[in-house]
Amino acid sequence: MTKSLFALILTLGLGSFASACAAQAPAAAPAINDAQIAHIAYTAGVIDVTAAKQALQKSHNKAVRAFAEEMARDHTAVNDQALALVKKLGVTPQDNPTSQSLASNAAAEQKKLAALSGSAYDKAYAANEVAYHKAVNAALQDTLIPSAQNAELKSLLETGLKLFQSHQMHAEHLAQSLK
Amino acid sequence: MLRMTTLRCGLWLLAVASLPVAPAAAAPASAAHAARVHVIMIDKMQYGPMPTGVRAGDIIEWTNHDILEHSVTARDGSVDLDLKAGASGRFTVTAGSHTYFCKFHPTMTATLLVR
Repeated sequence: MTKSLFALILTLGLGSFASACAAQAPAAAPAINDAQIAHIAYTAGVIDVTAAKQALQKSHNKAVRAFAEEMARDHTAVNDQALALVKKLGVTPQDNPTSQSLASNAAAEQKKLAALSGSAYDKAYAANEVAYHKAVNAALQDTLIPSAQNAELKSLLETGLKLFQSHQMHAEHLAQSLK
Repeated sequence: MLRMTTLRCGLWLLAVASLPVAPAAAAPASAAHAARVHVIMIDKMQYGPMPTGVRAGDIIEWTNHDILEHSVTARDGSVDLDLKAGASGRFTVTAGSHTYFCKFHPTMTATLLVR
């Protein structure tokens, strides 16, 4: 487990999982492989699409809905590309503790957001999107991209990073406008 | 006489119809200026560098190299070009400073100066 992935997990509120992993981790953690990287990146995309779908069900704010539509459209497109690439490469994405913790904690976050409504929901969704994109971008930049061995996977992750940095900027503008 | 006139009109129409079809706006701004095509790449969530020396009547061709759909949408509403991943599109520009953005990704913006 690398420092950056820990940062991602902690930022996403996965402290308990991180602690559990730290306790169990061997002295020299094995390097993350391309199949695991693909799984983590794909899972991160699915999480944001799910969050966007919830926003489209709950929010009546025009700017929030436009942002959610952008997230659903872009993350779906990137994940489609990722699926096509792993198929082409003959790689089977490999589930791993990071993907599992991302998914379970995202489900918990979604439950929290489900209990909110109106402007409280809009603000919480926007704030979560800022934090989530910051964490994912840091993980991409510091861990996933440097660790990727396949050039095409690395390139797709780099394109994804540019895209998600743009999402982060948009989320920050959105969060600011909702204050 | 009437028949002759009709025939001439018909020939004229045929000749006009057989001319290569070009966008009306693609005509040169002046007789001295032949319209040029300027290509702008869209890649990694950014519009490529804006060309310099663009003149009214020139054609701007936008090519989307990204894996996502983008648009080239003018702030003044005069242009709204949707570009699927890998697609290209073009339009003719008029003089002035034109600001464009992507309606799908509002953080993407560009300003093109046209003389």
